[in-house]
Amino acid sequence: MRTLVLALWLSATPHPPQQAGSAPLDGPREARVQALGKLLRCPMCQGLSIADSGSSAARAQMDRVRELVAEGQSDAEIRAYFVARYGEWALLEPSTEGFNWLVWLGPPALLLLGAWVIGRLVRRPPPPHTATAPEPKPAEEDKYLEAVRAELRK
Amino acid sequence: MSRRPVAALVAVALAAGLLLFAFARLFGRDPHEVPFGLRGKPAPDFTLTRLDTGETITLRQLRGHPVVLNFWASWCAPCQLEHPTLARAAQHFAAQARFFGVVFEDTPENARAFARPLEPSFPQLVDPQSRMAVDYGVSGVPETYFIDAEGIIRDKVVGPMLDLQEVASRLDALRSPAPAPGASR
Repeated sequence: MRTLVLALWLSATPHPPQQAGSAPLDGPREARVQALGKLLRCPMCQGLSIADSGSSAARAQMDRVRELVAEGQSDAEIRAYFVARYGEWALLEPSTEGFNWLVWLGPPALLLLGAWVIGRLVRRPPPPHTATAPEPKPAEEDKYLEAVRAELRK
Repeated sequence: MSRRPVAALVAVALAAGLLLFAFARLFGRDPHEVPFGLRGKPAPDFTLTRLDTGETITLRQLRGHPVVLNFWASWCAPCQLEHPTLARAAQHFAAQARFFGVVFEDTPENARAFARPLEPSFPQLVDPQSRMAVDYGVSGVPETYFIDAEGIIRDKVVGPMLDLQEVASRLDALRSPAPAPGASR
């Protein structure tokens, strides 16, 4: 019963009608379309590429990528088309320029720094023995031990 | 102070500075907001047909008139809220701008059923496969574009416009000269 109510509610909720995407291009060109689609962010989804998203907006963008590939535009030109409209935000892989270098070089730099710190810690000689508390002299020890034993014997 | 604590302090200060820079640069904005790159740029030309009459409309033939383009869909609840305001605005400000709706990811039947109770309204255009919407950098519906008489996209409103006064002030802004390209808003 609950399933039926849920199904009725879902079918009554407004949703975009699914439209078929444009026809795939020939093998290598369609492979380019899919590869480009994997690198472009879908504006209506959360962190999905337009190739992976099932949303109608992503389908529309994939159609446009296909059209631009069919027109003979290069990958860089197609990326520039989307960046012109949605900014760098459209790229799931940031371009290697300006501030973005921090994103590309930051993680390996941190790894190298970590390796260097660990290397230094491992290679560092153990610290020399510092002066510890002097061991009690046997005579003193005996004196206290004797006192305790004497108490126990009472 | 020996060398080691000084080096540690410098490292901490550097890391804190980098973090602050990253926060200010990358995290100072709403992560759900999709940037819009066509503000201040020429509006891409389009050739679409009217939903009711089938007449062809191009942006080129509208040159010389400010244009308001509203992207909507029948499955979008905020669009239903917004539509009466835009229909009134289209009548009220007919002398100032040409208003058009663009059907986004919808079937003509659904769109007609949606628009019929709202007649008289402004012309609705059919955008097959949403090609024009992608050209305009639409990131969802409803979105309303304000294009000046020279064909420059001056502004885009994301979300429903429910206030006639808001439409009026944006139309007024279309009359002022466009800021130089690259100037901040």
